[in-house]
Amino acid sequence: MSEKKKILVADDSETIRALLQTALESAGYEVDMAKDGVSAYELGSNGDYDLVILDQLMPGLLGLDVITRWHQEGMDVPVLMLTGVDDDRTAVESFDRGAVDYVRKPFRITELMARIRMRL
Amino acid sequence: MPLDQIIRLALLVIFSVNAALVTALVTLKTVHRRRMRLHEKRRQGYLAVLSRHLSYEHCTDPITEDMAEDPAFLDALIDMRNAITGDEVATLRRIVNRHGVIERQVRHLDSSLLLGRRLRAAVAIAEIGDETAADALMRHLDDREPEIRIQCARGLGRIQWTPAIDQIVSRFSGEDPWVRARFSDTLVGYGTKATWPLLAYVRINHRFESKGPALALRTIGQIQDDQAVGPMLEILDDAADLDVQLATIEALGELASPEALPALVDLLDDEVWQLRAKAASAMGGIGDPEAIPRMFGSLRDENWWVRRSAAAALARLPGGVDALYAALEDEDRYAADAAAEALTDAGELVSARRRIDAGVSDNEPLLAHMERGVVA
Amino acid sequence: MIFEVLRWLGYGTIAYFIVMQVYLIVLALLSGAALRRNHHLRRFGRVGEMLSSRTTPPITIVIPAYNEAAGIVDSVRSMSIVKYPRFEIVITNDGSSDQTLDSLIAAFDLEKVRIPYRPDLDCAPVRAIYRGRSGVDITVIDKENGGRADALNAGINAARHPYVLCTDADVVLDPDCLVHAMQRVVEDRERTVGVGGNVRPLNGSRVELGHLIEASVPHGLIARMQILEYVRTFLASRPGWSWMNALPNVSGAFGIWKKSVIVEVGGFTRGHMGEDMDLTMRVHRHLLDRKIPYRIVYEPSAVIWTEVPDTARVLRRQRIRWHRGLMTTVKDFFGMTFNPRYRQVGMVSWGGFVLFEFLAPIIEFLGWIVVPTAWALGALNTTALGAMLLVAFGMGLMNSIIALLLDESYGYFNSPADTSRLIAVAVIENFGLRQMTVVWRIRALVGGKGTRSWGNMERRGVANLARQE
Repeated sequence: MSEKKKILVADDSETIRALLQTALESAGYEVDMAKDGVSAYELGSNGDYDLVILDQLMPGLLGLDVITRWHQEGMDVPVLMLTGVDDDRTAVESFDRGAVDYVRKPFRITELMARIRMRL
Repeated sequence: MPLDQIIRLALLVIFSVNAALVTALVTLKTVHRRRMRLHEKRRQGYLAVLSRHLSYEHCTDPITEDMAEDPAFLDALIDMRNAITGDEVATLRRIVNRHGVIERQVRHLDSSLLLGRRLRAAVAIAEIGDETAADALMRHLDDREPEIRIQCARGLGRIQWTPAIDQIVSRFSGEDPWVRARFSDTLVGYGTKATWPLLAYVRINHRFESKGPALALRTIGQIQDDQAVGPMLEILDDAADLDVQLATIEALGELASPEALPALVDLLDDEVWQLRAKAASAMGGIGDPEAIPRMFGSLRDENWWVRRSAAAALARLPGGVDALYAALEDEDRYAADAAAEALTDAGELVSARRRIDAGVSDNEPLLAHMERGVVA
Repeated sequence: MIFEVLRWLGYGTIAYFIVMQVYLIVLALLSGAALRRNHHLRRFGRVGEMLSSRTTPPITIVIPAYNEAAGIVDSVRSMSIVKYPRFEIVITNDGSSDQTLDSLIAAFDLEKVRIPYRPDLDCAPVRAIYRGRSGVDITVIDKENGGRADALNAGINAARHPYVLCTDADVVLDPDCLVHAMQRVVEDRERTVGVGGNVRPLNGSRVELGHLIEASVPHGLIARMQILEYVRTFLASRPGWSWMNALPNVSGAFGIWKKSVIVEVGGFTRGHMGEDMDLTMRVHRHLLDRKIPYRIVYEPSAVIWTEVPDTARVLRRQRIRWHRGLMTTVKDFFGMTFNPRYRQVGMVSWGGFVLFEFLAPIIEFLGWIVVPTAWALGALNTTALGAMLLVAFGMGLMNSIIALLLDESYGYFNSPADTSRLIAVAVIENFGLRQMTVVWRIRALVGGKGTRSWGNMERRGVANLARQE
């Protein structure tokens, strides 16, 4: 039996966390949560995640700040950024720092799940 | 009554009121807090239920009548609606309507006496309602509560209920300014369907009032319907009120149609500075390099806001950045400074510094200009 | 004959305080009514719609900074992610003697620029202007030292948007504060010229990277007393005044103003120790004189957190400074007191300020002399005196509890223990703490050495406060 893939979901919106947790767990992934940038950074650095879903606007550290730190530390964590509707800059800059994909909020669950399946 | 009896009575009243207040405070703290905590817990539970309904096609989690009456459920519904998009919203609507949630909320909106409940109902209907709710939403466009009127318009916009457009536009004249602003946002959501009703409204009203028509014109600009350019130019010709004129110019800039250029170029010479400035900005929106020579002239305008607008507009025109660099050398130092500001905002300062640092160039006119100190 | 006089003076003094409490309680009830409306509207719609609408007006955040090297970068960073669609930040380095300017330049990649700067308002000479190169729309004005009002004027001069938010370098903004405050502007663009925010003491709360994680009541009587004071004014006075359109003071820690109006009245008064109240009153006077319809409102949901003094020594300096500011303001606007020409402002809020806020310490101080003397000479009936004192005390207590009750709906203090601590302070403060502030204010009134400086509050830095607990 193959091991379950581990995903970290970092978003300050409780609704998004609930939604993603349900959707991901029902698809057979193991899910951890973070409510803000600092815990996202800490959990992501210590845990061994197959994918990190990172929101941009979070208290503490911004999503972009988190991914910048990981990039500077040479950590190779696959990150999928969640950005706001008008926020193209974040998407572009996150790619510069090693993000593998981005999805705009509000999103379609099915689309998000498809992108995740593609990565894992 | 003798004085000391009065005082005694006063003391009694005061300290009993204090005791009552402290009791109220403690009650609120414990009871109310507990209620809120439970509300939160239920809400989280409902979020999970809704998530499952969206994730699994054949989810059998029940949505009971009690749930449909629970404000926590509505809150969860509203939050979930805003987190997703596309056909998943339709899925959510289907799930919800199967259980009569919206009908219930319409009843609350119509007859509840509590503002909080009515407001929540209005928001829920606006977020999740479908065409069956349109009637209720239309009725409450005249609700005595401004927030409810806003939500109703929003709801009608979300289901793209076209009969509402005329209703919403006609209310521009009587409404509170901020309700009107939200109505404007809703109309933008309708897109080009709203253009002609808005134009009709402006044509009829712009001679009698300015706020409503001005907002209507700006709304048309945001809708970006090219067909509106012709009629707007007519209105520009016709209009006497400054607010209306400015709104028309602003909208023409948003529409970005070269057809408007001649009229705008003329305005660069108008005696009213606000018109000159707005015209310059609008020309920046249109993006036609033909405008560059005239805008260059506006850099030397006597009014600083016109200079600033012209410079900012030049930065948006193809080839305009070169014109701005040329302006740095202008003998009119106000023009030069306006150009410097626009170049900075356009990111030229960063690029110039990078070029110097990379050794690609050894003389950057923008940086040289900046070395010369502050204009004060 | 003297007996009669003493009797009247004695009872009169206590009666004065009873009248003052009645005024405050009526104001508190009015505030309660005003807050109820606000409560419902806070939950729904506003924030999201304001954020995504194109009609939301842009705003400039103006921050005066003097020797703020310890926390300025964190502070500006957290302000830069406040939830608002369009805004810029202008920081004025008021001739700092520390690394304030350098740390800003380094952190935000600033470049010296030469751009149009219109000196609409007076201020000390500007040395240089810097613009940011990375992402955040920051402008820094480097100028010679001139004081807070002066620095604000410089920042406003450089502001490019029609509205300005005047705040401080070490406040922690609630992410939604700007949206809630500007909602009041958008409600009535024509008439709204100023919006005041809700300031809460930060002491004892957990802050991380410039964001408030959890609020709680601090240790220390001094800090707790201030929590009560702030709650009393921001929840039980300002909403009431705002509802009457008579707000006498838009807080300097969070004040949104229409830029054109500030320029019209000549900006903040340089060197004034109560520059926020001075500006507010000047705007009232200016617009009332010219019969221009306007409103200055207070928005309780626009919450910001700031550090308050936690030792008597620092508190004393602050209170003396405030009172000197108040004295200047009373002198400047004396003509408005109970003047019907100035309507609610003159007759109710400003009148109340002069009659109670300003006169109270004087009357209390004199009362300490008169009342015991009168009583000792037998001019006052002991029971009556005792009863009246109890009435005044009871009403003061009522005032504090109403304020705490009104604060409940904001849900900041979660534990019943915190509430009981605050109620205890409401009782205890009458036995020493209040008297202490009265002495300081008399000191300020008398003037002299030690009451003149702008005063540097010993800043521990916002982040350090939390670690102390």
